[in-house]
Amino acid sequence: MSDLRATLLAVPVPDEAGAEERAWEVVRAAYAEREPAPRRRRLLRPALALAVVAVVAAAALSPPGRAVGGWLRDRVAGEPNAEPALARLPAPRMLLVTSERGAWIVRGDGSKRLLGAYDGASFSPRGLFVVATAGHRLVAVEPNGDPRWSLSRPGRPTDARWSPTPGFRITYREGDTLRVVGGDGNGDHLLARAVAPVAPAWLPRANRTVVAYARADGVVRAVDVESGEELFRTPRTRGVEEILWTPGGRVATLTRKELVVYRRDGRPSGTPTGRLEKGQVLLDAVTVPRDELVYADYDAAAGKTTLVQTDCLDGGACRLIGPRELYTGPGHLRDLALSPDGRWLLAGWPEADQFLFLRLAPPRIRAVDAITREFDPGGTGSAPFPRVAEWCCRPAPAQ
Amino acid sequence: MADAGRDERAWVRGAQAGSASALEALFRAHWPRAHRAAYLVLHDAAAAEDVAQEGFLAAVRALDRFEPGRPFGPWLHRIVVNRAIDVARARALRREVGAEQALETTAAPEPGASPGPPSESVMLALASLSPDHRAVVVLRYLLDYSPGEIARMLGLPRGTVNSRLRRGLDALQRGVERETDE
Repeated sequence: MSDLRATLLAVPVPDEAGAEERAWEVVRAAYAEREPAPRRRRLLRPALALAVVAVVAAAALSPPGRAVGGWLRDRVAGEPNAEPALARLPAPRMLLVTSERGAWIVRGDGSKRLLGAYDGASFSPRGLFVVATAGHRLVAVEPNGDPRWSLSRPGRPTDARWSPTPGFRITYREGDTLRVVGGDGNGDHLLARAVAPVAPAWLPRANRTVVAYARADGVVRAVDVESGEELFRTPRTRGVEEILWTPGGRVATLTRKELVVYRRDGRPSGTPTGRLEKGQVLLDAVTVPRDELVYADYDAAAGKTTLVQTDCLDGGACRLIGPRELYTGPGHLRDLALSPDGRWLLAGWPEADQFLFLRLAPPRIRAVDAITREFDPGGTGSAPFPRVAEWCCRPAPAQ
Repeated sequence: MADAGRDERAWVRGAQAGSASALEALFRAHWPRAHRAAYLVLHDAAAAEDVAQEGFLAAVRALDRFEPGRPFGPWLHRIVVNRAIDVARARALRREVGAEQALETTAAPEPGASPGPPSESVMLALASLSPDHRAVVVLRYLLDYSPGEIARMLGLPRGTVNSRLRRGLDALQRGVERETDE
């Protein structure tokens, strides 16, 4: 068999050296951007006890088990008594999920349909269509996967979002530009140059078609796409990763270190997260009814994420009862999405391979296991954990 | 071997402590085999590069949780080979005609064509196997894992690993014999 090994080692791999250099550049960049965890203590903290390592004892104790045992520590035990399959959603309507296979729609009864091999996707305001991106194309498809129109671009469209207001528009990023196209695929035009790689966010529940986007210099602008009027701009903020609109119509920006809410004139009014301690990282945030926010706060030292609900949008000035912890679990909780009725919060939990559904009031927890396989049928379970895009669609505003 | 193990532990510890040069040493030591394993399963250089790169990115993300006393290779190889299997399956489902044609071209040389080097006939023989079978062969004969280790890495019963190895070896033997006959 040494001959066979030598032969396998002699098989020429095309551009082997070039591949190694390209890969090293990518790996080196990822390493430079990572947030190193503080050194772990020898003794496990109580919180770490939650991080039950999914080790099969017999495998771990045998010599081969010791050899392959290192990777097993990546998995954590999620919520006990999790349902084995995503057989239903706790709230009606539809969930949009992207996996390596493409974009999927999950209906309330748990049925799933692969819309196609799309990289990103977003619902139209009433969920009648999905706008999706793949390669050089922006595509509008029906929930059954039938394409309605397609727009080809020289660059690669990403972060497409459908406006919630009448006169429907779609914004998307292409390289460092922000563009707008009609909901029927017509009238594609440039809206802004030198934008940051952050998804634009439409002002919800308004009679104006207003979108907020981040510029490359860190300024977040809110503009009326019909008139081109700038409604406000924020001061420069480094590392904006997400833009949100609060139910009260204010813009909030999420960086890894803080969540800032701005007044309607663009001036900061407060940081609902307060000052994070060293080693803490914000993973995601979502707005919830009654002008509140939920954010995911990852503590690298403890290796756990806490979901916090807060009504203190103005920096410590809480309207009612202040911040409260909804849930704490080992690993990362991310991709927060609120159900259309505003009662359930969904979080993706990659290390546990679970979707976590939390009812906000009265509190209740539901979890679903083996999520990777749900969106990679026939796979080995090693595909990347799927991303939750949206839970469609919030009720129309009362006029 | 012991020195290599000591080096690797030092590199892992260094990378955890923030040393890019330690990470590069770890990368340089493990990239060639991980990349080659992905290529032998996928038979597509671009896809193999992506898969091997994903494996190292996963390693960077998990670096803080990695125990320096554990061997890095099995951890990386498990990710890379499983991902290669998934990618190969997904491509088959999507009927990526280009890739299928490439495999068919490799598997069916022109009549009368002169036989290539041994590695070429091995590639032809591998091409006649499914990605799942190729993965088992690669783990056993390129990366030197035991059938028990392969079973755990791929989440398969040991009997399945053994039968895939037998079938893989038969195909490789036929390929080599064909070349000898010619």
